[in-house]
Amino acid sequence: MSHYSAFPKSDDAYRKRPSKGGRGKSVTHDSADMHVTGTALYVDDIPEPARTLHAVVGKSPVAKGTLKSLDLSAVKASPGVVDVITIDDIPAERDIGPVFKGDPILAGPELMFHGQALFVVAADSFRQAKTAALAAEMDVDEASDAIVTLEQSLAAGARVRPDHTMNKGDTDAALAAAPNTLTSELYVKGQEHFYLEGQVSLAVPADDGGVNIFTSSQHPSEVQKLVAEVLGIAMHKVTVQVRRMGGAFGGKETQAAPWACLAAVLAVRNKRPVKLRLDRQDDMVLTGKRHDFLNRWTVGFDDEGRLLGADVHLAGFCGCSPDLSDAIVDRAMFHIDNAYHYPAMRVLGQRCFINTVSNTAFRGFGGPQGMIAGEAILDDVARAIGADPLDVRYRNLYQEGQQTHYGQVMEDFPLAELMQQLETSCHYRERREAIKAFNAQNPWQKKGLALTPVRFGISFTVQHLNQAGALIHIYTDGSVYLNHGGTEMGQGLFTKVAQVVANEFGIDLEYVQVSATATDKVPNTSPTAASSGSDLNGKAAQAAAQTLKQRMTELAVEQFGVSADDVRFENNHVIVGSGDTEKWFTFAEYAQFAYEQRISLSATGYYRTPKIWYDRNTSTGRPFYYYALGASCSEVLVDTLTGEYKVVKTDILHDVGDSLSPAIDIGQIEGGFVQGMGWLTTEELVWNDKGALASASAATYKIPTSVDVPELNVELFGRPNAEATIYNSKAVGEPPLMHGISVWCALRDAAASIAGYRFNPPLDTPATPERVLNAVMAAQVWQEAQNKAPSREGNE
Amino acid sequence: MIRFFLNSEWVTVTDADPSCTILSFLRTEMMQNSVKEGCAAGDCGACTLMVAEASEKGLTFYTINSCIALLGHLHNRYLFTASSLGVPGLNELHPVQQAMVDFHGAQCGFCTPGVVMSLAALYQQTLQQGGSLSALTDEDIHQALSGNLCRCTGYTPILRAAKALDSYPQQNLAAALEATEGVQEWQPSGAESILEQGGRRLFQPQSCSELHHLLAAYPDAWLWAGGTDLGLELTQRFKAPDTIIQLERIAELQGISEQEEDIVIGAMTSYTSLEHGLANPFPSIARLVHRIASRQIRNLGTLGGNIANASPIGDMPPVFLSLSTTLLLDGVDGPRELPLQDFFINYKQTALKQGEYIAAVKVKKLAADERLFCWKISKRSDDDISALMMAIWLKTDGTTINDIRIACGGMAAIPKRALHTENALRHQPLTLDSARNAASAISKDFKPMSDVRATAEYRLQVAGNLLQKLVIEYQASDKAEDVA
Repeated sequence: MSHYSAFPKSDDAYRKRPSKGGRGKSVTHDSADMHVTGTALYVDDIPEPARTLHAVVGKSPVAKGTLKSLDLSAVKASPGVVDVITIDDIPAERDIGPVFKGDPILAGPELMFHGQALFVVAADSFRQAKTAALAAEMDVDEASDAIVTLEQSLAAGARVRPDHTMNKGDTDAALAAAPNTLTSELYVKGQEHFYLEGQVSLAVPADDGGVNIFTSSQHPSEVQKLVAEVLGIAMHKVTVQVRRMGGAFGGKETQAAPWACLAAVLAVRNKRPVKLRLDRQDDMVLTGKRHDFLNRWTVGFDDEGRLLGADVHLAGFCGCSPDLSDAIVDRAMFHIDNAYHYPAMRVLGQRCFINTVSNTAFRGFGGPQGMIAGEAILDDVARAIGADPLDVRYRNLYQEGQQTHYGQVMEDFPLAELMQQLETSCHYRERREAIKAFNAQNPWQKKGLALTPVRFGISFTVQHLNQAGALIHIYTDGSVYLNHGGTEMGQGLFTKVAQVVANEFGIDLEYVQVSATATDKVPNTSPTAASSGSDLNGKAAQAAAQTLKQRMTELAVEQFGVSADDVRFENNHVIVGSGDTEKWFTFAEYAQFAYEQRISLSATGYYRTPKIWYDRNTSTGRPFYYYALGASCSEVLVDTLTGEYKVVKTDILHDVGDSLSPAIDIGQIEGGFVQGMGWLTTEELVWNDKGALASASAATYKIPTSVDVPELNVELFGRPNAEATIYNSKAVGEPPLMHGISVWCALRDAAASIAGYRFNPPLDTPATPERVLNAVMAAQVWQEAQNKAPSREGNE
Repeated sequence: MIRFFLNSEWVTVTDADPSCTILSFLRTEMMQNSVKEGCAAGDCGACTLMVAEASEKGLTFYTINSCIALLGHLHNRYLFTASSLGVPGLNELHPVQQAMVDFHGAQCGFCTPGVVMSLAALYQQTLQQGGSLSALTDEDIHQALSGNLCRCTGYTPILRAAKALDSYPQQNLAAALEATEGVQEWQPSGAESILEQGGRRLFQPQSCSELHHLLAAYPDAWLWAGGTDLGLELTQRFKAPDTIIQLERIAELQGISEQEEDIVIGAMTSYTSLEHGLANPFPSIARLVHRIASRQIRNLGTLGGNIANASPIGDMPPVFLSLSTTLLLDGVDGPRELPLQDFFINYKQTALKQGEYIAAVKVKKLAADERLFCWKISKRSDDDISALMMAIWLKTDGTTINDIRIACGGMAAIPKRALHTENALRHQPLTLDSARNAASAISKDFKPMSDVRATAEYRLQVAGNLLQKLVIEYQASDKAEDVA
């Protein structure tokens, strides 16, 4: 479905020139023309097979309780209704927990969260199904001891998984010996994914008892496995296809599967195609989100602000089941240090049970929630000693050779250089002075500024997921078909991997046709997650291309008596020989030739990430192949009477290694930053005291609009990855989200200015105007107390 | 029967659910899948479509949220989707689309058709008004995009695309349409229903007298005054009214007229029309309207609809409560006038009788020593519902508050005046000290609640602080005028 129009034969028919669109070239998204004309098909746009049924979910009215009876007769009698199912109608496996059990596909009799799926109704139209679902009558025994907040969960000791600790050095001794300590906490709220395309699956029954699934999922192989388990059939009877998603951001890693499974059950039962699409209100209630975290710490430091030790508790709001929370809380723990060296550190990660929807993967996967606490610590320490936070950050950056709190040795770590480059280009020091002067003059408006780094570990921390497969066919006209296990959610993965393949063959990008991810083409794939898409699938596709090149090279060696070194794939040609005997074949000619010589022009490729290991028993190892780096500087303007503010300007310098595709990488950085800014500013999840999601619509949950985006300058750092990643590039999906932290730090900086930058205003996230006003008022109160108090020397 | 123009031809619809939305009809009945459903509530813009209306002034292009707009809205209008934007014989891609491709304005692509529609309407309407694409400001572009959520790009490439539109060969859709099709005149449909199915009906009366007949015949009909809130009853609560009367074709209910002492605003005047029409008499209202909802909503939403809806968080009621405002009501029992402050009775309850509707809003102009100030406080700047809305009408000689009226939204079950606070300020010097002293009276006027938008404490605190803002902004604007 590449947008590159007709396969060209005309203009420069032989294309005897350097190929276009290979590695490092800025190209447009493979579907760009289809996107702008609206002709790109998403699952809900696929022409429906005849007699397709539409399924809608009925939901629990309480956060915790027992379903005593469920009367679905009115639902069944509703116009257009064909079938209604409950947990009792599931043919085989009823628990679809992806890693650990705990996720019943439909609830009952035990109810675990407000809005949990209880039954599914299938009708001739979506509206009929929706209307019918409202007709259910149920008798529910509501429990009085539902846990609906993180604080309640901590008090009750409720967990979905055991606590886990990482230890480095003697933390207690380090804190006891430290000249200064600070104890503080930060509540970081979660985030709704708000992918514009909601969850959707279309299940079409096959004639052999199997089923074909068209879904919007980051993890088609897991959907395949779970559908097979729920139906009680072999995986080879289930095919799952994902052409593209209308956004995902982690929200379609595990959260797409239930709807595919339920559609499959209904499709097989009724021998009719079934589409299950969650409308926005259902999607927001029924699917997991980014975890809230309550982060608490004591940090020790010297008078120059050098970190000496930290004791940190990170409590994650997991919801009612484990889902991916073990790995998510681990990743928060891995990123609490962000870029800074602690001689001693103890990190406790708690996986808290709450009677809410089970929280799940979201771009950054716990990393951002840990990292923001790390940055809060640096600001707090700087204000405690009266230094510029940027200087204290420099003082504490990891040096190469130092170890993290989980024992990974820092190698190839040019972050100080990167930050200094940004500090200069964004005129941090001059602006800091100008802002101090502005703030001194303006009682009603305060400016804030912050420059914060990002160091994000790249690899799945679940080691076996770090593998990928690809499949390439070359047809006799020279056109190339590419398939791999990665999914396209808008991040440009298909484009990037196609660029790799075009680059390997030395052909124009338009020769390479990308294709829908499908479980019958490349099996047993990992989710497209952890920023790993192009690292893993790019390498796998490169391996497949290299296999084909080797076959085509061996053919030339055999047929033309040249050495393998004298066979080149470049300029849209296969060039055989050198000097006077050099022969140029168009790629098509050579493909036809190889075919006639009975050379297989189809190959698979496979890749697994080297070097990584982690022993969770000792909490040590090298969980990350490498780190992606970056830094951002944000300036804000705060209204001290209302707490309203404007993010004025953000400069970002980001490390994507040697960029595979600069325009796509910059798009990921800009979009990631704005999503991170939204998480920390306007986007607020609100649960009521009954455990129901109050912010369950776009009217109450506010992601940024265009006017919220500051003047935004993004530059690429441009240094090749020292590790042998695909063309020495670096992953880019998640890390830029954490540049949003500089906005939050700048808001806090603005509030702290009221107290001469010597007070640390509390500012839980998201920093809505309300919380910013509270921070402003706290700083005012502190300053007034200082003004009244008899003058005292030195720090408290 | 309704008909609309799409893809070079007039489409006729005779058999459709009268409460069917445009989005639903296009996707389920016409396989027009370029238009997407993102929220079905007018909050995300994925379903944005461009509509053109013919009048003696030529074509006017505007955007709508097709998810909450009735199919009937398309009657005798021109509809453009992302897949029908390129005009055959001209460029395959509209300049907006080509710029979006060239500047990497789409990532997942799901919001993209809506974004394209919003930029296309900005583009075409700029041409229609004789404006220059190179002169488009950031503000123009943000306003056009205010109702389009994008979760992938962070908007920056979209803004770059919008700023580059002038560098592409111009595509004038209006000229192309006029050349090929000729502009169709509006043909009245009379008092007959324009859509009917299973005994359920949609009407589009052309005059108040037709409306009165319909109100008498269908006392339970839904009056559709833009539908930007009412539409959610269809798409979120799945209601199916027997009768809907769309008021948008009644010319008598539209427009702004100036009288000696008053401005009279037709109830069916859209927010977009208010932005332009009130810029002179009430610049602060025009500025406020810029931040109400989104461009798409402002194109359909109306002043009368906002008042009759009587939401405690509507933004227009506090503004007009602070001014001296009278509602001109009409209906089966004849016209009457009602001061606006007597209109709101209780939560979502009004003084409207059955068979009665708001015909117009009559508001007294500001005298030389009078000013209006409006503040809308919300989590997000654009397209958000107010946590708190405050409007203050101030009569002052610059040193003393000679008179004052303060009205708030989001602070009570109805839009409400702050009478205690007004008393605390009246005849006081116009100073920050007066404002600080009066702030404590706010809690006598209001007992707001905590909800998803803000806590009660914040609402009270900010309401009090805004009194200081009044003084600060008055003095700043006074200085500005001195300079001018």
